[in-house]
Amino acid sequence: MVVTPDHLTLQPRVIFEYNGSAIIAMAGKECVAIASDLRFGVQLQTLATDHKKVYKIHDQLFLGLSGLASDAETLSQRFKFKHTLYKLREERDIKPSAFAQLVSATLYEKRFGPYFCQPVIAGLEPDGTPYLCGMDSIGAIETAKDFMIAGTASDALLGICESLWRPDMGPEELFEVTAEALLSGQGRDCLAGWGAVVYVITKDQIIARQLKERTV
Amino acid sequence: MASATGGFNFDLVERNELLQKRGMQGPGFTKTGTTIAGIIFKDGIVLGADTRSTSGSTVADKNCEKIHFIAPNIYCCGAGTAADTENVTGMVSSQLELHRYGTNRESRVVTALTLLKSHLFKYQGHVSAALVLGGVDFKGPHLFTIYPHGSTDSLPYCTMGSGSLNAMSVFESGFRDDMDQASAVELVTRAIRAGVYNDLGSGSNVDICVIKRGSVEYLRNHQYLQGKTYERAHPMVIKSGNAPVVAERRFDVAQYVEVGPAPEAMELS
Amino acid sequence: MQYSFSLTTFSPSGKLVQIEYALAAVNGGATSLGIKASNGVVIATEKKLPSTLVDEETVKKISLLTPNLGVAYAGMGPDSRVLVRKARKAGQTYYRQYHEQMPVAQLVREVAAVMQEFTQSGGVRPFGVSLLLAGVDENGPQLYQVDPSGSYFAWKASAIGKNAINARTFLEKRYSEDIELEDAIHTALLTLKDGFEGELTGETVEVGIVGEDRVFRVLTAAEVSDYLQEVE
Repeated sequence: MVVTPDHLTLQPRVIFEYNGSAIIAMAGKECVAIASDLRFGVQLQTLATDHKKVYKIHDQLFLGLSGLASDAETLSQRFKFKHTLYKLREERDIKPSAFAQLVSATLYEKRFGPYFCQPVIAGLEPDGTPYLCGMDSIGAIETAKDFMIAGTASDALLGICESLWRPDMGPEELFEVTAEALLSGQGRDCLAGWGAVVYVITKDQIIARQLKERTV
Repeated sequence: MASATGGFNFDLVERNELLQKRGMQGPGFTKTGTTIAGIIFKDGIVLGADTRSTSGSTVADKNCEKIHFIAPNIYCCGAGTAADTENVTGMVSSQLELHRYGTNRESRVVTALTLLKSHLFKYQGHVSAALVLGGVDFKGPHLFTIYPHGSTDSLPYCTMGSGSLNAMSVFESGFRDDMDQASAVELVTRAIRAGVYNDLGSGSNVDICVIKRGSVEYLRNHQYLQGKTYERAHPMVIKSGNAPVVAERRFDVAQYVEVGPAPEAMELS
Repeated sequence: MQYSFSLTTFSPSGKLVQIEYALAAVNGGATSLGIKASNGVVIATEKKLPSTLVDEETVKKISLLTPNLGVAYAGMGPDSRVLVRKARKAGQTYYRQYHEQMPVAQLVREVAAVMQEFTQSGGVRPFGVSLLLAGVDENGPQLYQVDPSGSYFAWKASAIGKNAINARTFLEKRYSEDIELEDAIHTALLTLKDGFEGELTGETVEVGIVGEDRVFRVLTAAEVSDYLQEVE
């Protein structure tokens, strides 16, 4: 059965589908990539096409926030704030694994009144090994060696990542695979799209690339 | 700012209820689905768990860890909402460590049991963790199940989670008193496998934890059942430049600059 | 609401005499000392009992705060236990938040902040203790001293309590940067022996060590006796 857009506009069902988002993170050899779509919409109405859902915490650590855009905004600011204080206190950048625990603890604090966000964390540990994890909205961490996805397009993203990812990719191949997986996946989601942004993080470089949506 | 005092924060409850009333369904949480089990054998405890976590009907994690550390002599399997099992065991583990500092004694399993059940009872089942707690203390091996509402059982063999019936059927037919370690591990493994193969909420691999007086063997992926059976002989390689890039920016973030040997001092005379 | 005034107030000359009195309590306490070695840290303290009738097994003067960090004190025992309790809790809170062991410097800062707070809050008095904290973390071995005012410093070797001045002079002569933990234990015992009234035994001295394995532990009386025999 084809669901008409009308039906969707009249009856918003799930709060996660209010704004729409697609996020992918992938691990390579001593590098990680994290990417998101650029659409910001309210249900089926697109309001902006330059809305990045990935936030930089520090040079080796990025945070993607899918779900309700207002909560994502609040959370991104809170985590930026927490990391700034951490850095002033400890005079070092937080490790991705420690940051993941911090995010988890922060979300679980609101166990009975959660933020409607699912975070994806991607970064490099001080020894250069990739760290990847995702979480549900109350902070149940799920670590992954290969890839992590979140957002309204997650069903489509899961399959394409499963077949495109392979171990030990270099930064360039990692970029192409991440980009291909994200564009293919979000192409099957009404609520995500309008181009994408991909960050590839290596020990000495961050490569940020903006992609345009494919029309076919 | 998060309070350092701990406890839950209910700031968003009202807003979320309002959204729900307007027909906005809240998110589902990651569940463990789960088959977890434990038995008492001759020298101690064997705990077992599958490794699947689910989000709705999607498998979220194919190889998660459900046997949690409580104390050096106590471990705990968790079923239910993943975040709850993770946090309730972590919290009790922390409380027990402080207790050990104060008492200079090994933690007792009943202490862990009491801390867990009083927390769960306080939240009237809303913290949805179903646990199998096992350990060996100076009084010997102990095995308990704890339900999300805070009730507990003390049994020689027990199971929990959506695959508990599958696992229990194996125990009911195969359990004997005073088993040796090898057959105890084998029995628990079979019980978990019954869940992995017959319960949709459970899957992937079998984790085992053997606790004896003075020793713990955590056998992560004791049986690796569901690895990929087929590796693509020719993986798809996407040629460079395929993605439709419209803008690129590069940031150098090299953290350490290599410093070479100091140059020769200048002749000044 | 009731007013509660701080007992610690400035004298016209700009001194906080309450803090000086607290330091006097420290300087009257049993001597404790610590030495940072190249591969670990040792802290040692006198354990003199008021009477032979006291069960010495129940008296513990060195406490574990986190698995990689221990503390010795000079001054009032009951005051130190308040700080130990708060420090242990801070360590656990940190671990629950980051799933990492709390760095030594962070825990020291936390304890020092508590001690400072008690020099400025209403209705309380400063702590009558100085602390020596010994730990090993990513930044290597570290030895810190915290005083009743809340000021703290990292030391290569330090001593607090009754015999602190002599002990520090002794340590200054003996210390070298590349000293190893085993030698540091010997030096610690020798320093303590220098100003000790009576016989130094496994029962009258307590020693805590932490090495590169990052596990802090208090030596048993038998272990201390063995070390004492070696220094003789």
